[in-house]
Amino acid sequence: MMLTFVIFGLLFCGSLAWYTDNKSFLGVKFQARWVALVAVIAFALVFILSVHLSPLRFLTLQMITQVPWINSLNINYTLALDHLSITLIILTFFLAVICILVSWDEIKEKSGFYYFNLLATFVGIIGVFSAVDMFLFFFFWEVMLLPMTAIIAIWGHENRYFAAIKFFIFTQVSSLLMLVAIIAMAYIHQQQVGDLSFFYQDWLSLDLNNDVAQYLMLGFFIAFAVKLPSVPLHSWLPDAHTQAPTAGSVLLAGVLLKTGAYGLIRFVIQLFPQASDNFAPIAVSLGVVSILYGAKMAFAQTDFKRLVAYSSISHMGFVMLALFSFNEIAYQGVIVTIVAHGLSSAALFSLAGMIYQRIHSRDLSDMGGFWQSAPRMGGFGLAFAAAAFGLPGLANFVGEFLSLVGAYQVFPVMVILAAFGLIGSAIYGMVLFQKTFQGHSIKAVQDLSFRELIVSSSLLMLLVILGLYPNFVLQYFRGVIL
Amino acid sequence: MSTSPEIANSVILSVEMFIVLSPILLLSFGIVLSLLLIAWRRSQKMIALFTQFILLTTLLLTLHLLSGDLLVGSGVPITTLLNVDRFSYLSLVLICFSALAVVSLSRSVLKMEVEVHDEYYLLILLVALGAGILVVSDHFASLFLGFELLSISLVGLVGYFREHKHAVETGFKYLILSAAASSFMLLGIAFIYSQTGNLSFAVSSNVMPWSAQPLQVFNSVGILLLFSGIAFKLSLAPFHFWSPDVYQGSPTPITLLMATVSKVAMFTVLIKCCFSQNYFNNESFIEIITLVAILSMLVGNVLALKQQNIKRLMAYSSIAHFGYLLIVLTVSSMQNTEFAWQGALFYLSAYLLANIAIFTVLLISEKNKGDMSGDRSIDINDWHGMFWKNRLAATLVVFSILALAGIPLTMGFVGKFYLLNQAVIFESWWLISGLVIGSGIGLAYYLPLIFTLFKDEKTLEIQEPVGTRVYVVTTGKQLFMLTLLISSLVFGIFPDLVSQFIYR
Repeated sequence: MMLTFVIFGLLFCGSLAWYTDNKSFLGVKFQARWVALVAVIAFALVFILSVHLSPLRFLTLQMITQVPWINSLNINYTLALDHLSITLIILTFFLAVICILVSWDEIKEKSGFYYFNLLATFVGIIGVFSAVDMFLFFFFWEVMLLPMTAIIAIWGHENRYFAAIKFFIFTQVSSLLMLVAIIAMAYIHQQQVGDLSFFYQDWLSLDLNNDVAQYLMLGFFIAFAVKLPSVPLHSWLPDAHTQAPTAGSVLLAGVLLKTGAYGLIRFVIQLFPQASDNFAPIAVSLGVVSILYGAKMAFAQTDFKRLVAYSSISHMGFVMLALFSFNEIAYQGVIVTIVAHGLSSAALFSLAGMIYQRIHSRDLSDMGGFWQSAPRMGGFGLAFAAAAFGLPGLANFVGEFLSLVGAYQVFPVMVILAAFGLIGSAIYGMVLFQKTFQGHSIKAVQDLSFRELIVSSSLLMLLVILGLYPNFVLQYFRGVIL
Repeated sequence: MSTSPEIANSVILSVEMFIVLSPILLLSFGIVLSLLLIAWRRSQKMIALFTQFILLTTLLLTLHLLSGDLLVGSGVPITTLLNVDRFSYLSLVLICFSALAVVSLSRSVLKMEVEVHDEYYLLILLVALGAGILVVSDHFASLFLGFELLSISLVGLVGYFREHKHAVETGFKYLILSAAASSFMLLGIAFIYSQTGNLSFAVSSNVMPWSAQPLQVFNSVGILLLFSGIAFKLSLAPFHFWSPDVYQGSPTPITLLMATVSKVAMFTVLIKCCFSQNYFNNESFIEIITLVAILSMLVGNVLALKQQNIKRLMAYSSIAHFGYLLIVLTVSSMQNTEFAWQGALFYLSAYLLANIAIFTVLLISEKNKGDMSGDRSIDINDWHGMFWKNRLAATLVVFSILALAGIPLTMGFVGKFYLLNQAVIFESWWLISGLVIGSGIGLAYYLPLIFTLFKDEKTLEIQEPVGTRVYVVTTGKQLFMLTLLISSLVFGIFPDLVSQFIYR
């Protein structure tokens, strides 16, 4: 019940933020950003408390709510949680706060509508992480897309319409394939059990013919591979990340990509274990290609955000590689990589936003020597770049290390190839840092403000904690074998 | 000569039949009354109100009859010509509702002309009657009757404002092509008759399983010709060439009438004909349907990509939508027809609501633009930044476009969900790929349209005089738009409210 309250409450607060923006009530002047910030923090606390105090143990999926929705097709509003979804929802809440803080001064126009869209995206994402009725899942999957597209298209940079349309079409077409697979599963359930069912846990017990399973798995896989993204379905990502406003990029890289990983874990691998196993060599190759290709492309970019965007493709390749190794250590690596990449890419994109606010450019050739005028920003920049290329002591290292170690037991050659990606990431990470903070000082920029310090240091703190003590997250994923 | 009891029964109009047929009778009676009204006093206000009254009563009567249990099972046959079942009533509801919307929206268009426009309203009622006959017909003769009544009245309406730029061209185009289509159809019916010796939908193929006939080629050609006649009205590719021109050239309310009433009626009769003749058992028929469907999905969506004029864009998008809808014709067996009907009616209602909504806003902006500059055609750029000026109208447009694109939260998504269900049951992977690709292409013109609504005034390349884009909306229209918006949202989130109604 609490989760439903959180979902609808956030949506309500989004509308409230839109409605009350720049209006005075009882002598208090409301601002959408304050409403949004308070709402997100309050609901985050509500969520964490309710999970913490709940008598349920979330080792396996625990059903939270089930309400009939569309009776003629036997569709229910069903939410469930386990450790995986709880972790991702908490990550979403944390990045939500970051998103609001980085938009604080950036979004001046139509801010009410902006915060409405931002909160609506959070609602969609939380819904995706908790829905177990597949129709509902698809519903949230699309609902999260709409406001995200609006954020890119209305508040984005110069080429925003193209980027938004590309983003939407990629996701929509691939998710229609998933919808076909969902419907087909429901009818297979009808053939085998007798009634139509869209309930995830009913599907786990289905006995699927190998051929059929292979096709259905592909339907799901393509949808999630687009979101993840994996080569060759990645081309929307550099555009969308580059053109989105800062918070949009943070949200896209930090959480939206993770819905793809979540989908692979929850649906592709668990619903079609045999078919995924057959498919694993292809998926793993795609992962390795993504790692190398992403790193190479990142190195060639001159646009700060585009560089980070390509590095995301590279990092998500590790997720794909590790997931399809079906190994406990690799799985733990996936979890850490997901969280760590969420934090580190969010950090780099926030940094890009901070620089953009100062010099109104994302081009690396306009940057250089910022260390002299803004040493604090430079320090954080170095730390975030180091996190991105996997410096030991920071979270990404743990994730990538575990992924590679786990996957090595199954696909040794692939892992050796993938390890080259680490070298690539060190190169582009250093390029990024050098071109921005070192060299001739072209312009003097202001150092970080208090708000920006809070954003950067909280992200860095979590990266360090996770890097030094990964059990913080991993304790919940012991003994999980896919 | 002793007449067989069946014929004796079918000739007499029993009370039950009379009640079942009463919406159609009421509509015809209304037409006679409005003729008398014109003879008595010519007043535009009066005839408009009277037409609205007639349509509203028909709508309410149909709804009332629908809630009773008169129509269970396969429906009530009335002579051999008509057969009224739940689905015809549901289509009739859709038809009356859209005709009502058309009449209500026409006032602003007619106000600008000097004459008294009695014929206009009369013709709209005739269109509704033709559509009404189509949806209850169970015989090729009544199908043709309804078809011609619909077409001829529409021809009159299409070129109604004769001094407008495109009026003559549009009228001629529609007249000639429509006449050609009906003659094709007639020839097809004749071929079918030559094989089966019967013109009723229900008997012919049961009496003579045509596949066993030596001369089945006639039957096949007949079916093909019949289908092409109907496909013309539905503007399915490759019979779509008239539709963008006619859509653009007709008065906007009439475009809406064509997009909704005419298409809903033609589609209903197509489903009725196909299901009662078991055409779905015929593999080559299914192949042709699949081909036409995929062609329409692709042609409609691809040609819509570069359109600037909103009416042309809607014409192309409607080609694609009827391509999607053809999926319901590919049912695997008689048991699945119920589900197919459900999907078709749901999709049609979603399509209808979205179209009415877009055309309502289109009319409002046409009026505003016409008042300012005299030019009334609305391009995509004329909707620039509407969201920041008239939030209600723009939100309505956004939701309708999302419905047409089939995005969740809207009825269009549930409609598409039904169609996909149908296609998955029938395992027609070609149609599914067509639908997926078509929707993908569709987004490439739906989204820019939505983005235009959100654009800033600042980003506009050509600066226009201040004040051209102020949206003056009457309270009545505002209420109407609000109702459309709320109903499309509510039905989109709780589709059970509609499907319960269809299912019962």
